[in-house]
Amino acid sequence: MPSRSCLRHVAAAFILAAVQPALFAQWLDYPTTGVPRTPDGKPNLSAPAPRTADGKPDLSGMWGWATIGPPCGARCTDLQIGWEFLNIARSLKGGLPYQPWAAELVKKRRADNAKDDPNVRCMPRGALRIWTDDYYKRIFHTPDRLLILTERNMQYRQIMTDGRPLPVDPNPTWNGYSTAKWEGDAMVIHTIGFRDDLWLDSDGNPLTNAAKVTEKIRRPNYGTLEVEITVDDPKAYTAPWTVTLHQPLVLNSELLDYYCLENERDFVHMVGK
Amino acid sequence: MPTTFAWRRSFFAAVIMMAAPPAALFAQWPSYPTPGVPRTPDGKPNLSAPAPKTPDGKPDLTGIWENFRAPAQTAVPNVKTAGPNDGVLPVLQTNNDFLALVKRSPFWNLGSSFKDGLPFQPWAAELHRQRVADDNKDNPDAHCLPMGMMQFHNHPEPRKMIQTPQVIVILYEANAGIRQIFTDGRPLPGKDADPWWYGYSTGHWEGDTLVVQSAGFRDLGWLDVEGSPLSDAAKITERYRRPDFGHLEIEVTIDDPKAYTKPWTVAVHQRIMVDTELIEFVCQENEKDAPHLTAK
Repeated sequence: MPSRSCLRHVAAAFILAAVQPALFAQWLDYPTTGVPRTPDGKPNLSAPAPRTADGKPDLSGMWGWATIGPPCGARCTDLQIGWEFLNIARSLKGGLPYQPWAAELVKKRRADNAKDDPNVRCMPRGALRIWTDDYYKRIFHTPDRLLILTERNMQYRQIMTDGRPLPVDPNPTWNGYSTAKWEGDAMVIHTIGFRDDLWLDSDGNPLTNAAKVTEKIRRPNYGTLEVEITVDDPKAYTAPWTVTLHQPLVLNSELLDYYCLENERDFVHMVGK
Repeated sequence: MPTTFAWRRSFFAAVIMMAAPPAALFAQWPSYPTPGVPRTPDGKPNLSAPAPKTPDGKPDLTGIWENFRAPAQTAVPNVKTAGPNDGVLPVLQTNNDFLALVKRSPFWNLGSSFKDGLPFQPWAAELHRQRVADDNKDNPDAHCLPMGMMQFHNHPEPRKMIQTPQVIVILYEANAGIRQIFTDGRPLPGKDADPWWYGYSTGHWEGDTLVVQSAGFRDLGWLDVEGSPLSDAAKITERYRRPDFGHLEIEVTIDDPKAYTKPWTVAVHQRIMVDTELIEFVCQENEKDAPHLTAK
């Protein structure tokens, strides 16, 4: 049961979960340490980003997403999805450069009310939807990897920074295989090895097993994570395309225990038009 | 390796489904060398080398760990370990061999090594009996739900511990689960904490032992495949020790007066895995078992 009660975009059709009258005691108020403050004691979100021992920006922290309406924080009883959850390429003028079959597929998925979105069946949302997800994530920046824990389904993604090469012909996975290196203050992540049937958003924009994805992550200040995503998937798109997402830092909070499959009642009601 | 691989990846339901071993191993992360592994003169990992330490001098529990039945002579004194203590996994010839082995394991039945079984309260004994009579069909693991702390501890699929200064994270390959143990000094939440599958865990060091205390569990959880219950009154204490490079010993004490007449303790033995990585495993993907899980 989602205790961070909210307007969850649960499925293809909007299902508006009832807003819970009270928040239950969890670990939502434990103070984050090391937060820079303004003279009046408030968190200084525009302070410089912290650094790891080797001088790189420390990407650690609990991160949210850009909501459709004004942000209202981790104790919000009215959490909202982001536009990019619906369409990851919403900021691109002229839309995505679909291959013909991909354009047809997206049309069909929309006509079907996106009922076959793996998200609806409580499956993983895949690596890129972590950035557009309406669930919080916590990044652990360790010497040999970036570890992302996601609240949804209590699952994880690993990005290897230990110098290993990407695998050749790997078993396809939801998250793909990710390695990263630094270019200045940007961590540049390369990912391959996706499944052939992924959805990038609830519009059903596809990602195929031919995709090479590059994510450039910066922390321009204490309170912001900037994620520039380039999708190079010649099977589904005629040209590579790039979108940039901004994520707000969430203080004094913690991930909750949320498991989509628990008491799942939606799926049997999902139908196309 | 193929046998072990097939065994640990296919072992997940309440009713044992014998999946055919894959004919070949699929490429995931290729065998990438784990840095900092101590070696013997012949180049093999030296499992009995000293455990690594973090900069603050504590044992570093970071690593990928697999279940391991410790040799009898290294068993924790006064703590009973279920199953054969021969130190190696036997060669399995038939499904019946497999089932017989599994049913003696702590994963299946935590009480198997106690002379009189677990000290159930009467209602808990009845619930356990009913769950066994139902072929354990309601085990959350069989429905791709989180299986809770003890089934994860004893699960054949490996888990990775990542120790950071303020949090120790455990990634479970089984169902891609995660658990966080906070070592930043925060207290456990009060008794009104929203009940969680994994509960809430905080840890502190006592010498070279990480002592983890957990509370805030969901009621009527499953500690093993048979369904030995865990109630929402439970407090669990885990003591993690890494006596050498290759081994992790976890002593788990369950203090649950609602379900048990007295606290009891079991040991979990794990062994390091090097030059490998967790693979992606999503239980509910193409899940077809649930409709077939029925009581006798």
